[in-house]
Amino acid sequence: MPKRTDIHSVLIIGAGPIVIGQACEFDYSGTQACKALKEEGYRVILVNSNPATIMTDPEFADHTYIEPITPECVEKIIAREMAELKRLGVQGKLVLLPTLGGQTALNTAMALHRNGALERHGVEMIGANARAIERGEDRQIFKDLMIKIGLDVPISGTAHNVEEARAVAERIGRFPLIIRPAYTLGGTGGGIAYNREEFEEIAKRGLELSPVSEVLVEESLLGWKEYEMEVMRDRADNCVIICSIENFDPMGVHTGDSITVAPIQTLTDKEYQIMRDASFAVIREIGVETGGSNIQFAVNPDNGRLVIIEMNPRVSRSSALASKATGFPIAKIAAKLAVGYLLDEIRNDITRETPASFEPTIDYVVTKVPRFAFEKFPQADPTLNTQMKSVGEAMAIGRTFKESLQKCLRSLEIGRSGLGGDGKPWRIGAEVYGDRDILPRDVITRKLSVPNAERIFFIRHALRAGLTIDEIFTLTKIDRWFLTQMKEIVDFEEVLAGTKN
Amino acid sequence: MNKDLLAKAKSLGFSDRQIAHLTGRTEDDIRAERKKLGLVPSYRLVDTCAAEFEAYTPYYYSTYDRGDDEIRPSGKRKVMILGGGPNRIGQGIEFDYCCVHAAFALKEDGFETLMVNSNPETVSTDYDTSDKLFFEPLTLEDVLHIYEREQCWGAIAQFGGQTPLNLALGLQKNGVNIIGTSPQSIEIAEDRKLFAAMLRKLNIPQPPNGLATNEAEALEAAHKLGYPVLVRPSFVLGGRAMQIVYSDAELTHYMRFAVEASPERPVLVDKFLEDATEVDVDCIADVGQFSKPGQGTIVMGGVLEHIEYAGVHSGDAAMVLPPHTLSPKVIGTIREYTHAMAQELKVIGLMNVQYAVKGETVYVLEVNPRASRTVPFVSKAIGVPLAKLAAKVMAGKTLAELGFTEEIWTKYWAVKESVFPFNRFHGQDILLSPEMRSTGEVMGLDADLGIAYAKSQMAANAPLPLGGRVFISVSDAHKHEVAEVARQFAELGFELISTSGTATVLEKAGLKVQRLFKLTEGRPNALDLLKNREIQLVINTPAGQTPRADEIRIRTTAIYTGTPIMTTLSGARAAALGIAALKKSGYEVKPVQAYH
Repeated sequence: MPKRTDIHSVLIIGAGPIVIGQACEFDYSGTQACKALKEEGYRVILVNSNPATIMTDPEFADHTYIEPITPECVEKIIAREMAELKRLGVQGKLVLLPTLGGQTALNTAMALHRNGALERHGVEMIGANARAIERGEDRQIFKDLMIKIGLDVPISGTAHNVEEARAVAERIGRFPLIIRPAYTLGGTGGGIAYNREEFEEIAKRGLELSPVSEVLVEESLLGWKEYEMEVMRDRADNCVIICSIENFDPMGVHTGDSITVAPIQTLTDKEYQIMRDASFAVIREIGVETGGSNIQFAVNPDNGRLVIIEMNPRVSRSSALASKATGFPIAKIAAKLAVGYLLDEIRNDITRETPASFEPTIDYVVTKVPRFAFEKFPQADPTLNTQMKSVGEAMAIGRTFKESLQKCLRSLEIGRSGLGGDGKPWRIGAEVYGDRDILPRDVITRKLSVPNAERIFFIRHALRAGLTIDEIFTLTKIDRWFLTQMKEIVDFEEVLAGTKN
Repeated sequence: MNKDLLAKAKSLGFSDRQIAHLTGRTEDDIRAERKKLGLVPSYRLVDTCAAEFEAYTPYYYSTYDRGDDEIRPSGKRKVMILGGGPNRIGQGIEFDYCCVHAAFALKEDGFETLMVNSNPETVSTDYDTSDKLFFEPLTLEDVLHIYEREQCWGAIAQFGGQTPLNLALGLQKNGVNIIGTSPQSIEIAEDRKLFAAMLRKLNIPQPPNGLATNEAEALEAAHKLGYPVLVRPSFVLGGRAMQIVYSDAELTHYMRFAVEASPERPVLVDKFLEDATEVDVDCIADVGQFSKPGQGTIVMGGVLEHIEYAGVHSGDAAMVLPPHTLSPKVIGTIREYTHAMAQELKVIGLMNVQYAVKGETVYVLEVNPRASRTVPFVSKAIGVPLAKLAAKVMAGKTLAELGFTEEIWTKYWAVKESVFPFNRFHGQDILLSPEMRSTGEVMGLDADLGIAYAKSQMAANAPLPLGGRVFISVSDAHKHEVAEVARQFAELGFELISTSGTATVLEKAGLKVQRLFKLTEGRPNALDLLKNREIQLVINTPAGQTPRADEIRIRTTAIYTGTPIMTTLSGARAAALGIAALKKSGYEVKPVQAYH
């Protein structure tokens, strides 16, 4: 199927200001989409209030609105542009592409759908329709659909007030419990409750922060292994996996705050294929007709139980990472699929030979490590949980996990040149230890059992202090394969130190 | 050193610095030894197909597994652009924007562009942006390898923020041609003593200041200058550990716990100018290309006036372009100083200057001969891509050739507002300070200043209310001005609510105020009203040097309930202006293409 000729103008909503959970990855995806759609001859209209973006450079769109991204303001833009099309005597349609500007764009588009503005102005949503967005974003509907197609999900329930939340907690029957507010960015307002008091506090906060006053109360999957799949689908129902991503940090830490590795390292091919099939089943059932989605899974390391955590029916932070990790430009392809192309009709720019329907293959290991800024917020709690707190990330590529991890740690701009052994002292609270000092066990244990920004370095400290892989696993639930890899680095550090005269 | 051992270390990802420390040598020794042994990384392609098909987009990573090297030689003149690395507060998308523009500009001028960066979120690491992309750490070791392997003609270190700038001198020592303003000029701007000497020579005032390498020296400097003083470490971006200090006790605490001072890294102690207006200038110049002074061009791209008074980091402050209160005389002085410093520092490319204006006196706070955080904002506001022009100037073009020799003074207003992550860090006080904490920014554009400000607030997700109740509680220092601000809100139809101190002041000024309990006095108090959404706007300025616990609770509750809050009276005045404009005429939207 060739591209749609009934479309004249495409309105792209950007992500607005950089906030935690929504950073410049949406400039990257939006810029790609603008370029791709212009290339196809469409008139591109863009709204984004963030002047520091490349996408708001005047040459990337025909009309660039540096205006607030609110439903009211976007409707004014639609009205102005519809009048313009009329004035120009254009026959084609104005359509809205809401899947490239993160949660901000999706929420704004959904608000315009709900208040009838899109219908009033005759504007169609492309990329994902309102029904698919609702099915993907509403946690209860999503879970019901997953159960319908035979996939497992965490035991949970939604609540619209504290009483309902209490009832769900009662039904699940044990702490800890996870609370996730609906329609918030990067899990704002969510958390993990270990007792009743915490539960009430987090549930209340979550209800207040959710624009639809809804929270999901869920059984805890703390310590489970976490995975992500980047999937794309076209109008002819072709599906491809662009990239598989494994979280080094188990469940309980927001994906944006986790160290992640691509491709998946610790699953057998059979397990991977089960996850791949499940990903296709999810995108089909939710009904994302064209474009990219991100699907998150958790696996119980004790018995292999696989559950679906959530899906983003849009280009996400992970899509940017997957694009950089594989070389496959997800946002660009998503924009082309949205205007009617099929995956097999789009050429891969890199090989110029294979079509976009070829699943990328990678022969290296990619590691991403988040960058935090807790030094700027000394009064706040530095524990990592389901609410994202990192402000950026570095990525590195190597032929092995070891090479890519050390490259990534020295990319972080925190004064470290790798996992350790670089001469820089370690500051822990008011204590300062030398780079090669053996740290006290109680300090190490504390820093391993509670997720925090420095945990990766404390695995080195633990190994040097003589903790076994099993002991570290018990404290962190980080897969033994990763710990064994790190042990090789730490052991070799001793070999190098041994050559010092 | 044993070759096998070294090869194994490199394949496990050890950096030269780690190896050097572990084996008791220097990083330079390890590099020299490796090169002698031929132990350098090979570069592989990221090609989507595990080398099954030929790849046409040159996107590389380095590895020490001893295999093929896939770099393709080319005869073109190559310029390397050093990116900013991972985003953090103080160094974000603005610098990536500048790097992307450098790549576009130099491609246009026929260079082969090489981008080096480690941040997967960016446009700079899109394989389409530059001719070759190297997804690599920004360290001396990794960057030098690429430079040498590709035999580059030059490198741009002034666009990626502090990360590449910190590498510039080391790279230059190792034979890298850093194009644009020389690293020596950058050092003059960063080194307090050299900088003060330059200002004395040019007869430009700066706030009285001193240096301290320990606690005793800091106290001595502060006594000489008189409190309040602004203290900060040298060589940082984003105002890390920057603080306004009002007493010996605070200063002692700062020196003991907040910084590591040393003779190499002294702490800067400046007299803090209270109630001064801060101004940021981004200028572009090519004067460093010419041997004689007076040749070449210097143009102020944008002059931005801060809405908050001095003391708020320029990355956090709201700003207005063009300035809305400065006199022509002050602007003339700013232009004169900017030109004099650009000339003296032999700038080739961009330079940012921060000024403080008190009365008609203009003080220089800081000069940075490199791309600044405000470059994209200014470029969008005036419709001229400053970073792109600067890259071309750095590679040899003159501003006259590029046709940019005149300042642009817009007839509309552009307001920059910052966005903060306080909702992620519960319990953290939200007061603005010299330490930058915002993650992002928005722009409000309009022919009317009030509307431009109102749009910036809407875009920052804190839309101004058009009516309802405004809760006002200000410090004693601000009580003499509060009545005038409160009156504006009363005239706009708002009900005023205050606690005892502020309420008395407002009543004396003849305003009708609803009195509210202080948190410690009883209920209902401000927290109850905020939670019930019975307050639509909060104006709360800090009581003193150390904010009181109840104030912090009011401010954090405002954030958590999504109630707009102004923590400065200048912010409150701007809000009143915005609300008045919105009530009068509403707002319209217009594409930027229609502005320029």
